[in-house]
Amino acid sequence: MGMEARRKMRFAMVCSSNMNRSMEAHSLLGRAGLDVASYGTGTHVKLPGPSLHEPNVYDFGTPYNVIYDDLRRKDPDLYKRNGLLPMLKRNTSVKLAPQRWQDNAGDGLFDVIFSFEERVFDLIVDDMHNREQRMLKNALIINMDVKDNHEEAGVGAKLALDLCQKLEGADEDWEEIIDDLIITFEKQHKRKLTYNMAFY
Amino acid sequence: MAVAAARDLPPTFHPNPSPLPSSMEPRLRQLRRVPLLDFVARIADLHADQASPVRKLVAEMIGEVGSKHMAYLPNVMPCLLHLLNDDTPAVARQAIKTGTTLFAKVLRQLVIQGLFSSGGIDDSLKLSWEALLKLKSAVSHMAFQPMSNEGARLLAIKFVEKTVLLYTPDPDTPPDPPNEVTEDMGFNVAWLRGGHPLLNVGDLAMEASQNLGLLLEQLKPPKVKSLSTSMIIVFVTSLSAIAQRRPSFYGRILPVLLSLDPASSIIKVQVPGAFHALKSAFAACLKCTHSSAEPWRARLLEAQNIINQADSIEHSSNRVESLPLETTSTDNSNKRNLIDDIDNVPEDGDRSNKRIRQSHHDQERTENVKNNVELTSADTPSSPSNSASTGNSEAVYQLVSMFAALAAQGDRAAGSLQILSSSIAADLLAEVVMVNMQHLPVSHPEVDQQQSPSAGQPSGAPSSSLLSACFPLLESLLKRINQNDREVDEAPQTIDSAVVPSAAGETAAIPAIPGPTSRNLPMEENSNSSSIPSDMETIEAKEPTADAARLSIEIQESSEASHASTELQGTQEHGGSFISSLPADNSSAGLSLAQSSETRSPSSSMVEASQTQFSYSSTLTSQHVLPKLVVTNIDLSDEAKDLLQKEAFLRILDCDKQDASGGSIARLPLLAHLGVEFPLELDPWELLQKHVLSDYVNNEGHELTLCILNRLYREAEQDHDFLSSRTATSVYESFLLTVAENLRDMFPASDKSLGKLLCEIPYLPEGVLKLLEGLCSPGSNEKQDKDLQSGDRVTQGLSAVWNLIMLRPSNRDRCLEIALQSSIHHLDEVRMKAIRLVANKLFPMASISKRIEDFANEKLNSVLEVVPADESAASEMSTPEAPKDGGSENLSSSVADSQTLMSLYFALCTKKHSLLRHVFAIYGSLPQAAKQAVHRQVPILIRTIGSSPSLLGIISDPPADSRDLLMQVLQTLTDGAMPSQDLISSVKNLYSKTKDIEVLFAVLAHLPKDEVLPVFPSIVNLPLDKFQVALSRILQGSPQNGPSLDPSEILIAIHVIDPEKEGIPLKKVIDACAACFEQRTIFTQQVLAKALNQLVEQIPLPLLFMRTVMQAIGAFPALVDFVMDIMSRLVSKQIWKYPKLWVGFLKCAILTKPQSYGVLLQLPAPQLENALNKNPVLKAPLVEHANQPNVRSTLPRSTLVVLGLAEDQQQPAPQAQSSQNQAAETSSSAADTTTEVTQESSAVS
Repeated sequence: MGMEARRKMRFAMVCSSNMNRSMEAHSLLGRAGLDVASYGTGTHVKLPGPSLHEPNVYDFGTPYNVIYDDLRRKDPDLYKRNGLLPMLKRNTSVKLAPQRWQDNAGDGLFDVIFSFEERVFDLIVDDMHNREQRMLKNALIINMDVKDNHEEAGVGAKLALDLCQKLEGADEDWEEIIDDLIITFEKQHKRKLTYNMAFY
Repeated sequence: MAVAAARDLPPTFHPNPSPLPSSMEPRLRQLRRVPLLDFVARIADLHADQASPVRKLVAEMIGEVGSKHMAYLPNVMPCLLHLLNDDTPAVARQAIKTGTTLFAKVLRQLVIQGLFSSGGIDDSLKLSWEALLKLKSAVSHMAFQPMSNEGARLLAIKFVEKTVLLYTPDPDTPPDPPNEVTEDMGFNVAWLRGGHPLLNVGDLAMEASQNLGLLLEQLKPPKVKSLSTSMIIVFVTSLSAIAQRRPSFYGRILPVLLSLDPASSIIKVQVPGAFHALKSAFAACLKCTHSSAEPWRARLLEAQNIINQADSIEHSSNRVESLPLETTSTDNSNKRNLIDDIDNVPEDGDRSNKRIRQSHHDQERTENVKNNVELTSADTPSSPSNSASTGNSEAVYQLVSMFAALAAQGDRAAGSLQILSSSIAADLLAEVVMVNMQHLPVSHPEVDQQQSPSAGQPSGAPSSSLLSACFPLLESLLKRINQNDREVDEAPQTIDSAVVPSAAGETAAIPAIPGPTSRNLPMEENSNSSSIPSDMETIEAKEPTADAARLSIEIQESSEASHASTELQGTQEHGGSFISSLPADNSSAGLSLAQSSETRSPSSSMVEASQTQFSYSSTLTSQHVLPKLVVTNIDLSDEAKDLLQKEAFLRILDCDKQDASGGSIARLPLLAHLGVEFPLELDPWELLQKHVLSDYVNNEGHELTLCILNRLYREAEQDHDFLSSRTATSVYESFLLTVAENLRDMFPASDKSLGKLLCEIPYLPEGVLKLLEGLCSPGSNEKQDKDLQSGDRVTQGLSAVWNLIMLRPSNRDRCLEIALQSSIHHLDEVRMKAIRLVANKLFPMASISKRIEDFANEKLNSVLEVVPADESAASEMSTPEAPKDGGSENLSSSVADSQTLMSLYFALCTKKHSLLRHVFAIYGSLPQAAKQAVHRQVPILIRTIGSSPSLLGIISDPPADSRDLLMQVLQTLTDGAMPSQDLISSVKNLYSKTKDIEVLFAVLAHLPKDEVLPVFPSIVNLPLDKFQVALSRILQGSPQNGPSLDPSEILIAIHVIDPEKEGIPLKKVIDACAACFEQRTIFTQQVLAKALNQLVEQIPLPLLFMRTVMQAIGAFPALVDFVMDIMSRLVSKQIWKYPKLWVGFLKCAILTKPQSYGVLLQLPAPQLENALNKNPVLKAPLVEHANQPNVRSTLPRSTLVVLGLAEDQQQPAPQAQSSQNQAAETSSSAADTTTEVTQESSAVS
């Protein structure tokens, strides 16, 4: 460590249940060698169930493989068909269990927090706002709306990776370039981004 | 590593926890032993190091050292100040961070020492404080100046925020200092009120206020324009943080924040992130429960709405010039002089501001206008109307109130009213009216209100004072208008809280707030809301229940139930805080309903159940006064809850059944909605299905099904959650399929319900299409045999398919496919129905005809592959030892198969005749079975088409190998119908090309004699059976013209054929004659006589003449007299000169004796002698005949001599000579005749 010009940025990928979008991005950024974690902002991990409004509900912290086994017991066909089981399998290869954003104080500081849904974004901003600010460490919170399905999650993760690599690779600090970066990105990818800042 | 160790070093000397390479150990140990003071000096040395990371670390370490050992601070502070201006952004940022930390620590230390230390404040602390004050002014300077280092500026802003917070009393901690110093005693500048040697609480407050002013200034035009988005975000979040922690500043901060809303377009050109920050800030500010925050609630909610609608808002006109009035707004408070603000004690700020505003009114207005002019001239093309600086709605609301106030004065103000309304731009006036509409009572329009607004507002004076309190700027305007001074400052507190509910009610997001209409407002105006008189209760009992129920439904509908309910609870808390006097109330119904949608509250499910019903019924009859519900906690088991829910659901369904008479607009969506929301292991879909189907016809089953499917479709399409949308899709599909199957099975095939349903649902899933397919193409193994027999189901399915093709273009291809598959169904009945649909109704549709044609074509061509090529089979059949039965069975099934595949094509041919040619084209290569199938269908087809130009074209020029087909076509065309001239000429064309006489058969009857005669020899030349056919055709003739040849003409035509010349075997001619003689009814005695009569005149005589004569006699003996006449004519024609005929003549004479004696006696003597020599049998009877006296007398002597009845007396020699010559001649010719006859007989045999 020591005298290297800049330490690595830490990224957090956040969606509602820390299952699909955030995990897709976590997986992708991790493979690209970025320092990344992922979280959900919901009160529980909710996965679709056999009928409308009968979700499978788990607590955050329930290991992905436990959820996997549970669903496989319940209805292997359904959950295989709708992609849940493959998704969970992928998740087990990324980390142990879904984590809740609001409970991550012990995980250290993040430079960039990336959310995939405006509601999640609001919750993060709100949560950061409610935390005690002592470090005066600035964190960038970016939102990009991504539909919660497999295909879109894949697309969203690639875009997130692209943006995060630009932030990581920039010569200047992100505070100096963020506006330009966002505008360029929006033009290039025709996606709307929203960002906010919070202080640890 | 070294850095980390060094950082840990000075105060605590922690043993390094991480294992290090042993070589580093000694050096590190040495480093740890460095005295602190030296270390500090070393730090100071390093602060100018070349490497920026070093300088950054120095800045960081200064913070560590300083906070743990303040004594060293004076030594290092100069370095820190220096680092503030470092060129490297990261270093400067770290310096600010460190400065921020140190500033708070030192200030706290200073306060503690001043309050608790007996020995006063030590010098080093004073020095530190001075240094930090320098730092403060430097950093503050950075915060308010545009600079290149944005990151540092962000932190500088945070620093200013921190100082503002530190310098102002914290309302959340005790204002008095604790009795003794503890580690976690916290800090509150309010402690200084009791006095402090160095610090003055008033000075600090003033400085805080000043800094706040500077912060606010940044967010106002024109400065805000030059800010980057990130700057705006930080300013906004900092200010909102200050507002929340120091609610006394609400009055200063919020107007600025509110002025930034999108409607004001101040920051419109920026990245939307800024608006988002603003929205978050508003949301955060709304959560503040401090009393100073309350008055701003309505404004905040409104601003939130505006931001949410920001996208749709458009500014249509610039109203600055036309109506300066509008520019009055709370934004004006921003323009106050800082000096004014500083005097204000924060808590009272809100109210005193108003006074100031009033007094500075005129000045402000001009200022504001000027401001606006600047703005419009600025480089922001997209913002024509920043005049209404806090948004149109602000102005609108003020105008509404102005109208109300004027109206309240009755007739006196009528003039002013007119002036006001005429001076407002039309669109703004429209907005005012629209806004006012919201306040109209739902169902009890007060007549008075419409006639004269003053009646609806009984007391004018208080209401305008209410107005003025809410909108202080307008108030002064009002003063001008009616010259009627009012007491303003008396009521603001009251009114502020009364206004809140009215505005909040409009946002429709807060069920808990009662009295949401303006109607209530005037009645409440004089009473403080905290002591609402008891008669208010009845009003509120009406209004909020309906509202609560409606809202709770809205909340349930919201896909994010949890989100909504937290929001609801948040507002509920707030509502309770100032409507606490209300009884445990209806509003709680809304809340518990919201909870029930999440099934979160285990204790109230019974109440929930009843309230569910209650709330739904209340939406139907929103004006009913409903009994209050008391929420009690009852513990129920899960099973009991399920049961209750299910029972409730069933009851709703039952009610629906009974109440089917009306109100379906409300009922049906509710049922559909229940299905979606019902938390169901209980399977609401099955219940709903039963309900739908229980009385489909009479109980709006169709409408309900549509409603449910639409609801599910919406659920699926919303796509907020990829799997639940898939689940909705699957429910949709299974629900639809079940209903469809039931409709099929319940109703007779003639019922149209199924078809109607399929036409109107949102989309057709594959399952239903499969069902249709089953109807249209019943499989042999399915169990609908009964229906199948009738075929009605097929009709039902096909008509549904037809409707879908017509009405659902998106499903057209798939439905067409169903119809097409049905049109090649193996059952004739099914196929014919489908073909009728496809050919008659679908094929004429231009958009799909091509596809139909292609399909039919493909199927037609597939016959070539599918049906076994069976030339061999056909030949097998003709051989006797082949298994004939099996062969024919195979053949007939192949024929049926071919027919299955070809029928559609033939049907299309009737619509598009040009398709026919392809049938002819492939005919030659078709297997035998397929050919048979073609032949079966062609008659029907051709009869339908008639001799169309396309067909005639084919006839004139048929493809190769299609002769058989062509013959059938021709036959069909002429069968029983008069062929057109075109057809006839086409056939003649064809004949002229092919010389195939048979093609003429079809039109033979219709050809004139002169066209038949030339081809007659060819006809005779045909095999006998075909000749017979032709014969009958010719004889049959056409109805108009009769036979082209009459029978005698035919006979003549046959006889005049010259076999040698025409190349026709004589045998054919003889056969033809025989064929004619067979038909005695046609070739009668008279016909023969006529024919013979004419034939005898032919020169030369036809070869077969005598033969025919004899046949005629054989057939009709009565003709003998006539024949004698013919024979005597032959004698006169010297028949003996035709040796072949002469033989026949004599035969005939023998045949017809004794009648022929007369004719024989007519022969000249030599010929007679010749005849008698050849046929000696004749001599005796002839002599006897001649010897009769009457005969003998007529005979010449020479004849008598030949007969031996007289002597040859004169010149016997020459007589003999001549007779010998004659005889020789005759004998030689007789020999010829004999050979001829032999030849003939051999040919006959």
